[in-house]
Amino acid sequence: MRIEDHPILGKTERRERITLKVDGAAVPAFEGEAIAAALIASGRRVFRYTAKRREPRGVFCALGRCTDCMMIVNGQPNVRTCVTPARDGMVIQTQVGRRGGEATHDLETENS
Amino acid sequence: MGKSEIYVVGGGAAGMAAAIEAARAGAKVTVIDENEQPGGQLFKQIHKFFGSGVHRAGTRGVQIGRDLLKEAEEAGVKTRLNTVAYGIYPGKRLGLICGDHTEEPASPIIILATGASENALAFPGWTLPGVMGAGATQTLININRVLPGRRALMVGAGNVGLIVTYQLLQAGADVAAIVEGLPYIGGYGVHASKVRRAGVPILTSHTVLRAEGDETVERAVIAQMDEKWQPVVDTEEVLEVDTICLAVGLSPLAELAWMAGCRFSYLPALGGWVPVHDENMESSLQGIYVAGDLAGIEEASTAMEEGRLAGLSAAEALGYLSVETAEARKIEVRERLAALRIGSFGGGRAIAKRELLRATCKK
Amino acid sequence: MKNDDLVICRCEEVTQADIKEVINQGVTTMNEVKRLTRAGMGLCQGKTCGRLVAGILSGETNQPLQELKPSTSRAPTRVLPLGTLSKTTQDDD
Repeated sequence: MRIEDHPILGKTERRERITLKVDGAAVPAFEGEAIAAALIASGRRVFRYTAKRREPRGVFCALGRCTDCMMIVNGQPNVRTCVTPARDGMVIQTQVGRRGGEATHDLETENS
Repeated sequence: MGKSEIYVVGGGAAGMAAAIEAARAGAKVTVIDENEQPGGQLFKQIHKFFGSGVHRAGTRGVQIGRDLLKEAEEAGVKTRLNTVAYGIYPGKRLGLICGDHTEEPASPIIILATGASENALAFPGWTLPGVMGAGATQTLININRVLPGRRALMVGAGNVGLIVTYQLLQAGADVAAIVEGLPYIGGYGVHASKVRRAGVPILTSHTVLRAEGDETVERAVIAQMDEKWQPVVDTEEVLEVDTICLAVGLSPLAELAWMAGCRFSYLPALGGWVPVHDENMESSLQGIYVAGDLAGIEEASTAMEEGRLAGLSAAEALGYLSVETAEARKIEVRERLAALRIGSFGGGRAIAKRELLRATCKK
Repeated sequence: MKNDDLVICRCEEVTQADIKEVINQGVTTMNEVKRLTRAGMGLCQGKTCGRLVAGILSGETNQPLQELKPSTSRAPTRVLPLGTLSKTTQDDD
């Protein structure tokens, strides 16, 4: 749920309305806001599944340190959505497991 | 513009205050910050600060943040944003990630003002989406302008727990309860009263046992605890919440200071492992200063004063301020710091800070 | 109260049982726990689990927290693609 009018902060200044594609579905967002914000506003809280136990993770620290909010953005995995600005047309996918380093998962198969 | 003589790592309250002082004295200062804009935690603080007039009492953190940015710009401070310091090497050389490449500038003086990170509390279900730090909740509501959920359980009744509870209510969410493990409320009475008046129960000697839900938090199970920190039989209560906020303290973000080889002391009153420093905020390593929450968890007001102390000392070390001028200014800052470290809350920190000074060993 | 299947290191999914197991095998320092379980070696480099691991180690081996220095901090303390390291400049601006 978006906070439009706040008793202290006043009306939220919004930039241009854009559209993100998240796991194939269109999700509205505002240009430049954190991707995670748009996702949470649209009702999504599961951002990825872990490598070993395939457990759901979402926003935990909200400032780019814990890496739980990572998703695949425009084909690039391990993107911290809480500190990455949303741009029109971004293609975002739920990340299952990890890529790079000791990766052992075929993400294309898992995400298709 | 010329080479930077002082690199400040972290553009929050302490870092900006340090940069402004040093730049005003004439030094060439660069502030490094990993975020898109500096200000650290100030922009999340929408409540009014306490303290005296000189400490901006009655002013909201957001306004102080804006003022600091303006003063930094006017003083000629250079800021490099979206830049992460990932390492510190011998010779006071920093490793910086700048977009698609890295840089390793060396500089005579480094001021570390990297702040703190939120502590975690592990319990079954704590990795479910919906469990997050209280600071994370604050970021989502006050900066991202989204509600993390509709109904929350707050864990921790220190100032952060009480303040964020109130901010959740202001933003339109519901808070089922605050659970606090200790038998008393750790935060200021004025915050606790506000929260109680708003109808949120503060349950001391209580803890969260587990979070439950299919893919996200749907319920939290809380219980009362006895003196041995064990759950009391038959006091389990199920709360229908979709968010659990952890407000269980902060710890200094000290990796760079450890890596550089600074000496540390373990002081629970200041958040755990803290880099030792002298009255000038210089660490055990010559030319490396520390300020703000990195030098001990306190508040924004003490962070700014410590930043000023570090900035003045750095400028003096580089020759931009005479010993007399610097000392006079530093005495004023130290007096203001002492005034902030009094009472039932500040007193403990004052004692711990004195411990830190005693642990300093000059090279 | 403690469930040993509890995840302690969120990044590497190291559980409390994993940590207690290496402690039972004789490990007494943070560095050893990190090396043997991988707790603290993930993407957040121990920022989230550090204190939790110290608490477990302290409880299991009766070492007070002030005697348990955090595991060694090594660069890089943040995630960075290897490619960026190959383009390093040392010139100051």
